[in-house]
Amino acid sequence: MIETGAVPVRRLEWQRAEVREIVVETSRVKSLLLGVTSWKGHLPGQHVDIRLTAEDGFQAQRSYSIASPPEDELLTLTVERVDNGEVSPYLVGDLRAGDQFELRGPIGGYFVWTAAVRGPLWLIAGGSGIAPLMAMLRHRARWKVRAPALLLYSSRSLEDVIYRKELDAMARRDPDLRIVNTLTRKQPVGWMGHRRRIDKALLAEACFPPEQNPKIFVCGSTSLVEDTSRLLVELGHDPLTIKTERFGPSGG
Amino acid sequence: MTENGSNLVLDGNAAAGLLQEIFVLDITTAQIQCEACGCTVAVGALRLYAAPMGAVLRCTYCDGIVMRAVHTPHGRWLEMTGARHLRFSRL
Repeated sequence: MIETGAVPVRRLEWQRAEVREIVVETSRVKSLLLGVTSWKGHLPGQHVDIRLTAEDGFQAQRSYSIASPPEDELLTLTVERVDNGEVSPYLVGDLRAGDQFELRGPIGGYFVWTAAVRGPLWLIAGGSGIAPLMAMLRHRARWKVRAPALLLYSSRSLEDVIYRKELDAMARRDPDLRIVNTLTRKQPVGWMGHRRRIDKALLAEACFPPEQNPKIFVCGSTSLVEDTSRLLVELGHDPLTIKTERFGPSGG
Repeated sequence: MTENGSNLVLDGNAAAGLLQEIFVLDITTAQIQCEACGCTVAVGALRLYAAPMGAVLRCTYCDGIVMRAVHTPHGRWLEMTGARHLRFSRL
């Protein structure tokens, strides 16, 4: 079992990652499955820095959450195309299997959950903020963790729900996992689910009460993270049990 | 996640790559006490204001600056006058 805590981290070195496979997740999002030769493993929720170097030597660096569980052989990064971005249009549009780039990690032991952690797991995601939470859910499924888990996931439309089929299959297999989707901009005909941004009523409805001491992870845009964490505190959750990760306003 | 080119508000966790170039132990789980208001949180829970040259980390509660990390061609600078201490828990 993987333990968390103040472990010494290996010196962060840039390594070469090779794209082995590319999965189209949505019209704006792809997953890159990477082979990293000397990868020593990671914890669900950690991220990597990637660095691209142009022919003229100009370098651009970004951080991306790892979406794959530690049990997988390949490292998965899920990248959303940011229009006018320096890095993501290349990653989503131009990269092909066999291409290489530089990467370092894993980084950060704070926004981390493993199967060794007791108590209910409550994940709240907006858009591509699902990526690090997906590493946790995949890890949880591998270990067949029976403690209850809940994912509250806000997307613009059904087509924008990343990992939709895998999440549906996960929820069907696992009676202890509940997934609540909310579609904020466009809903399919006959949609019975939620159709608004995450608000206090939604959090009060799709939740673990504070008495159950859930471990809470929130990942998404700055506004989603700030609104959600403020509302969670208003609903009686201890701020120290809420771990957050904000994306830039333009996303990944 | 981090778009380094502009001024963004992120979590301290996102500064981990830069800070981890300096520290041997995991910096995101280290507890830091704010000089201004005295509260203690994990570095990963601080508010990060990302700037092209580096990072400004502010207290989650009072918004005081607790850490500034800058990467320059001449070296890495870490300024912590806004923090009372940094505690790495027992291994």
